[in-house]
Amino acid sequence: MFDLADLQGNILRGYTKKPHVRYLILEVADPIAARRWLAASVSGRSDGVPQITTGNWGANRPDTCFNIGLTYEGLRALGTPSASLEMFPNEFVEGMTARAWKLGDVGPSAPENWPAPFNEPKRIHLIATIYAENVEQLDEIQERALTDGRALRLLAIREGCSFPDDVVHFGYRDNITQPRFEGVHDPERYPDKQPRAPLGTVLLGHPTNLEGLKWRVPLPAALGHNGTFNAFRVLEQDVAGFEKYLDRAASDLLEHPQVEELLPHGAEEKIGKGLSRRAALREIVAANLCGRWRDGTPLALSADAPDPKADLTDFDYVGESRCPYGAHIRRCNPRGGQIVQRVANNSRRLVRRGVPYGPAYDPAKPGDRDEPKRGLLGNFIGASLGAQFEAMSCDWLNLGLQDPRITGSNDPIAGANDAGTSWFDLPLKSGGSIRLRGLPQFVRTRGGAYTFLPSLSAIRFLGSPTI
Amino acid sequence: MPGDEGLLDRVVDWLPKTLVFKRVASWTLVPLWARLTPVKPLPGGPHLSFQHGDNVQCMMNLIMPLKVKSPIGRAEAALAIAQNKDAIFAGLNNVGTVHFARFVIVGDNICMFSVYDGDFTNYIRDFIATIGSVFNAVVELVEGGDDVIPCEENVEAFIQWVHERDLYQVPDTATDFLRDQEALNGEGAVSGNDDLTLLPRKLVLQLRANANVSLGSGYRAYPGFSVAQVRKQLGLGW
Repeated sequence: MFDLADLQGNILRGYTKKPHVRYLILEVADPIAARRWLAASVSGRSDGVPQITTGNWGANRPDTCFNIGLTYEGLRALGTPSASLEMFPNEFVEGMTARAWKLGDVGPSAPENWPAPFNEPKRIHLIATIYAENVEQLDEIQERALTDGRALRLLAIREGCSFPDDVVHFGYRDNITQPRFEGVHDPERYPDKQPRAPLGTVLLGHPTNLEGLKWRVPLPAALGHNGTFNAFRVLEQDVAGFEKYLDRAASDLLEHPQVEELLPHGAEEKIGKGLSRRAALREIVAANLCGRWRDGTPLALSADAPDPKADLTDFDYVGESRCPYGAHIRRCNPRGGQIVQRVANNSRRLVRRGVPYGPAYDPAKPGDRDEPKRGLLGNFIGASLGAQFEAMSCDWLNLGLQDPRITGSNDPIAGANDAGTSWFDLPLKSGGSIRLRGLPQFVRTRGGAYTFLPSLSAIRFLGSPTI
Repeated sequence: MPGDEGLLDRVVDWLPKTLVFKRVASWTLVPLWARLTPVKPLPGGPHLSFQHGDNVQCMMNLIMPLKVKSPIGRAEAALAIAQNKDAIFAGLNNVGTVHFARFVIVGDNICMFSVYDGDFTNYIRDFIATIGSVFNAVVELVEGGDDVIPCEENVEAFIQWVHERDLYQVPDTATDFLRDQEALNGEGAVSGNDDLTLLPRKLVLQLRANANVSLGSGYRAYPGFSVAQVRKQLGLGW
């Protein structure tokens, strides 16, 4: 059994009641002062440096939450012993920018094009995250975090705010399914066809999803045990481009000889009240690209129309599932469905914590040239970046190696697509499909870093005057 | 024009082809060069590519020196493979991304050559998860192998160990080779420093640091397909 109070709280909790999220991207100014800052963050004192939120809240829900992640450069800058540093996995040591091709960060997403501070990845040492109910609280916590200017230097801020009902920029409901863990979550409370994940999926030092395999835990145990890794990503979303593509696809489909099979005449009302035939086709395309209708209904349970009564997580891709093989949620997590890498079913799961940034898209003003920047500040958490986040990104999200019917295509929503070569198959009831082409790249990476989310013991270890 | 060459030109052209000159060059010139221009071995494995077709049917070429350098050592290696034949087939079937795996003994080395789809680390990791015991049986016989077995408990170190033994794949074009050298030295991707007259020297120095290499990244008579695409097309199930 393990102690929830030893984990940072954002690993197992979504902090869903705190819509405002601010990321402080920090550089260690002076190692001694920075270590003192770390020690203060777990001292239990309510003034000064904000206290790290743990997984055990006790009786009272905190007003604000505060968590940190350290990059490899950050661990070095703090003076972590080299014997410990050497035990961290390669991908973390090299950092996100060095792994660009595995993550599809090529072309417009390439790290060479990232704005500051992400254009100088070696200066990013610590990313602190504040979660709060309002902006005033964010400001207050930020001020407390930066009071001691000798410890940490603020390089940049990234800030987001959840939209109502967990909707994100492309208009889908998000934040639906998370892995549930053995020994933590009650299976009765969370109906889910997926098996509960072993704790080692998300924490170092526990059994992993690949039977018998263990990830290396950096020593001393106080440093590595109960820690985990996070891929922090700034993902810019081209919502205008996405909506424009749906327009185009719907127009093309209206002319398609098999459109009747996709949308029988008279069925438009089921897709949405008062929708025109073209508008209904737009929604069908949007649903297929994602694997969920915009209200969250999984196509695996309700392929013909959104169904408010359908369970959002209790499904699998076995048998003749009508969720497209290439749909975003199926590519990223094929659940128990047939995949090429049979040993990998359920082994690449991630805890996802995301928040939108930028204003919501206003469809009343489409094609506005000065569209504000918007996207997602995403965190993809798992005990092995290589075996989970990178494995998912490299072979599944892009390339499509898991299923020969999608091999050679990229994820229709998040993939590194090129309109000249991209394609996506819309399945038909008869078993055939209609191939959509010309999908542009809707999501561009604009920054990110691999961080280590240390346990509370590790923060104390790193915070001691002499490590 | 050939007819216009003087005696000196002909001597200069002829000299490098002589045995004496070649010996002198390899004993003195090359080591001297190498001391003046230290060259790191280029990393092995396929070249990073985001082009579909380039990231399927990738080549792995491992040459692993046996601990026991004798017919006995070679026989041990042969037995280790033969005894694990069933596990190897089961592994290929469950990992699903490997086209061929070949084991060859060359001198006192056991070589493992394979053709796989997608990312190298995923391929090796999935294999460890499926038939780690076979890796252990082979790597146990290899120099330096004891540090990384059992592979199930040393996943990251084992994958790195294998990667370090995967042969460098010499690109087919001179500019790509020069690019690799630049990337290794941390120079910018487009320095424009493509002095082709330096190519022969750079290649000699690299091959001095890196005696075993793969020439090219494998040549196919057809475009790249994944294992599962081939199996599906042939109606074998995937």
